[in-house]
Amino acid sequence: MSGGTYADAAGLVERSAAAYAAAVPDQPEDDGYFGPASVTWRVSADLSAPVAGLRSLMLQALHPLAMAGVDQHSGWRRDPVGRLAATSAYTATVTYGDRASADRAARRVRAIHEHVRGVDTVTGLPYAAGDPALLLWVHAALVDSALAAIDLFGTPLPDADADRYVAEMAVAATLLGVPDAMVPPTVAALGQYIADTRPGLACTAAAAESMSYLLDPPGLDEEIAELWQDIRDATVAALPAWARDMYGYPAPPALSPLTPERRTEIRQTLGVLDAFFLSEPGVLEARQRLTVRMRG
Amino acid sequence: MSARARQVAVAVGATALGAALVLGTLRRTDRLRAGRAVAALGRRTRRLRVERGMAALGLAARGGARYASSAPRLFAAAGEQREQLRNDLALQTAEDVAATLGTMKGVLMKLGQMASYVNDGLSPAARRTLSRLQDSVPPMTPALAAQVVTEELGMPPEQAFATWDPEPIAAASIGQVHRAITHDGRAVAVKVQYPGIAETIEADLGNVALMRRMLRIAAPSQDVDALLAELRERVTEELDYRKEARNQQMFADYYRGHPTIVVPEIIGELSTRRVVTSELAQGARFAELAGWSAAERDLAAETIYRFVFRSLYEAHAFNGDPHPGNYLFHGGGRVTFLDFGLVKYFTAEEMRPLAAMVKHLCLDNDPEAFRQAMEAAGFLVPGAPLPTEMIVEHMAVFYDTVRVRGPVTMTGDYASAVTRRFFDFRSPLAAYAAIPRSYVILQRINLGLFALLGDLSATADWRRIAEEIWPFFLGPPSTPMGAAEAAWKSRRGLVRPA
Repeated sequence: MSGGTYADAAGLVERSAAAYAAAVPDQPEDDGYFGPASVTWRVSADLSAPVAGLRSLMLQALHPLAMAGVDQHSGWRRDPVGRLAATSAYTATVTYGDRASADRAARRVRAIHEHVRGVDTVTGLPYAAGDPALLLWVHAALVDSALAAIDLFGTPLPDADADRYVAEMAVAATLLGVPDAMVPPTVAALGQYIADTRPGLACTAAAAESMSYLLDPPGLDEEIAELWQDIRDATVAALPAWARDMYGYPAPPALSPLTPERRTEIRQTLGVLDAFFLSEPGVLEARQRLTVRMRG
Repeated sequence: MSARARQVAVAVGATALGAALVLGTLRRTDRLRAGRAVAALGRRTRRLRVERGMAALGLAARGGARYASSAPRLFAAAGEQREQLRNDLALQTAEDVAATLGTMKGVLMKLGQMASYVNDGLSPAARRTLSRLQDSVPPMTPALAAQVVTEELGMPPEQAFATWDPEPIAAASIGQVHRAITHDGRAVAVKVQYPGIAETIEADLGNVALMRRMLRIAAPSQDVDALLAELRERVTEELDYRKEARNQQMFADYYRGHPTIVVPEIIGELSTRRVVTSELAQGARFAELAGWSAAERDLAAETIYRFVFRSLYEAHAFNGDPHPGNYLFHGGGRVTFLDFGLVKYFTAEEMRPLAAMVKHLCLDNDPEAFRQAMEAAGFLVPGAPLPTEMIVEHMAVFYDTVRVRGPVTMTGDYASAVTRRFFDFRSPLAAYAAIPRSYVILQRINLGLFALLGDLSATADWRRIAEEIWPFFLGPPSTPMGAAEAAWKSRRGLVRPA
C-alpha cells in the first residue's frame, strides 16, 4: 500500500549494472526484436541513457493511474533500487536479449500486471496495470525521453533515425499487451499522442514524493551522489516545460538556457557516471559482446 | 632465522633529496647481532611514526612495493592485456576513440596512470574504476593508426618507412607502439597517438569543478588542488609528443656513451605532435629479472639508481615515470630507459635546498641547518613551534640508506601493509608542513624507484654510490660501474652545473 518512507538508494549503480550485464546475452539464439543494426541499440548505448531513464520515470509518474499502480503495489518505497534495477533488467532483456528471452521476460511482467489492480485514491478511478492505455503511456514516455535526452546530451539522431527508433520500439509496447494499432509509429504521431494525453495527467502527491526521492535519493554512494546533481539538472532540463510546470520545478537557472558549455559539462558528468558503470563486474564484457555484434 | 632475512624497516630515499620520502623495507646484509636486532625493532617503530608524519605532509609516503608488483596498472604498461583483446574490438575511427576515451574517460585514465602519486590515497571504488578503464581501451585498427601516421608525416607509413608493422606491439600513453624500419635501415619504435584524443582530453581537463569533485572522493587524503594542477600540467604535456621527444633526446644526449645507461635516440624527422619515432630497443622485461642472478639484479639496480640521481643532480631532470615497464635489461648492468613523457626539470634554486638537506643531515650532522634547508625549500613553515630534534627525527629515517655505510638490501614487501595500519594524520608536523608543487613529483622516487629496487632485492652500498654523485662530495668511484662511469665522464668532458 502507499505511504511509508523510502529505503535509501545505496547500490543503485551496482544493481543496475548487474542487471545490464546479465541481460546482454553471451550466445543469443537470434538477434531479438531489435538487433545490431537497429537504431534502438544505438540509442540504448548512448551516454544520455541515464537522463532518458530518469526523465521517462518522471513523465510516467504524471499519469495518476500508472503512478497509483507503482505506488500501491510494486514495493517501490520499500526497495526503490530493486524496483529500478528490475526495470533496467527488463528493458535490457527486451532490447538485447534473443526473442525467447524477451518473450519470457514480457510474459513474467504481464503475469505480475495481472495482480496490479486497484482504485486510485486521488481520482477515485479503478486501474489495472495491464490496461493498454496505461502501458501505452509508459511506453510513450520512455521513447519520447530517449529522443529528448539523446538530442540534448547525446549524439543526436537524424530525423529519419528518430522515426525509425519510434517505429522499432513499437514492439516493446506490444510485447506487454498494447495492440499494435494503438502504438504511435512516428515521432509526429508520438508527439500527438502525448499532447492528447496531457489533459489526463497530474502531479499527484505520490508522484511528487516519488520524484523528489528520485531527484535527490538519500544514501547514494558518495561518488554517485556527487554526480547526481548534474544528472538531476539535466533531467529537469530535458522535461517538456508543461511537465516541469506540473511538478512545480523551475527550470534550473544554470540550465536556462542550456548553453553549449553546460551541455558539455553534463556530458562530462555522464561520462564519469558511465566510467563507474563500466567498472562494475561484467559491464565491460557485456559492452564488448555488443560491440562485436554491432560490427558484424 | 638468518640475520639476512630479518627485516629492518628503513626509509630509503634521500640519497639526493630531503624530500624524497620513501619507505621501502630493507634487509641488512651485514649480520645483525642480537643487540642490533633490538635496535632494528626500535627503528621500525620510529619509521612508522615518521611515516605518519610524512602522511601528514600530504605525501602518503608508504611502501611502494605494490607499485612495482600489483598496484596501478599504468596505461603505458597495459600492453599485455591489450594484446589479448580481440581485434574485432579495435578502434576503427576517430568516433570510436571519442566514444572510448572522450567525455572524461581519457582524463580518468590519465589519472589512473598518475595513481602512483596517490597510491594508497585512492578509494577502492576509484581504484577499481581507473583500473577497469585501462582495460577498456582496445588498440587502433592498423588502418586507423596508418591514417594518423599519414596525417602527421604526410605520407602513409609504408612510404614513410622502409618496413612498417601494422600490428601494434604495445599500448602507450594515449596511443600505441608500432615497429618499423627506416629507409636508412634503423629499427625503430613508432608511437602513434589516438586521433582526437588530445582535443577531447584538453576539453575535459577544462572541467575543473568536476575533476575536483571526483578527486576529492577518489583521493580524500590528498591535496586535491595540488593534485589537479599537477594532473593538468602533466597531461597537457603528454598530449604533444614533441615534448616527450625533446625530453628523451636530452637524456639520450646526456648519457651518450655511458657504460650502462642506454637511452634510445629520437628520429627527429619522423617525430611530430602525434607520432614519435625512436630507436627500437630490445631486452629483457622487468619480470624476467626474477630469474637472473642476484649479482645481475644488483647491477641493474645500480644502473637505475645512478640514472635517477645523476639525472637529478647533474641534469636537474627527473623522469617521473619509473614504472617497471619503462626499462629493458641487457645484462652486465646495462639498462635501456624508455618513456620520457613525464620529465620534470628543476632550477638550480629548486635543487639547492634539496642538496643542502642531504648534506646537513648525512654529512654535517647539523640539525639546525637541516631545518633551515627544509624551511628554505618550503617543506616546513619557518618558525614552526616544534623542536628541531622532533623534525629531524621525523625526517631522518628517509635518509637512512645514505646515512649508513655498507651494503644494504632493499626489500619492498613489508612496508605497505603495516604502514596502512598506522596511517595517521595527527602528527604535530601536519599543521606546519607542506610539499611545494615543484617537488611533488619527487614522491615518485618513493613510489616507483625504491619499490622497483625493493622488488629486485637489490644490494649495494648506496651511501658510497650517493657520495660519488652528491655535488657537495664528489667521492671517488666506489664500484666497477662507478669507475666506468668516471671514465665516461672524463671522456665526455661533462662538467657539473655550478
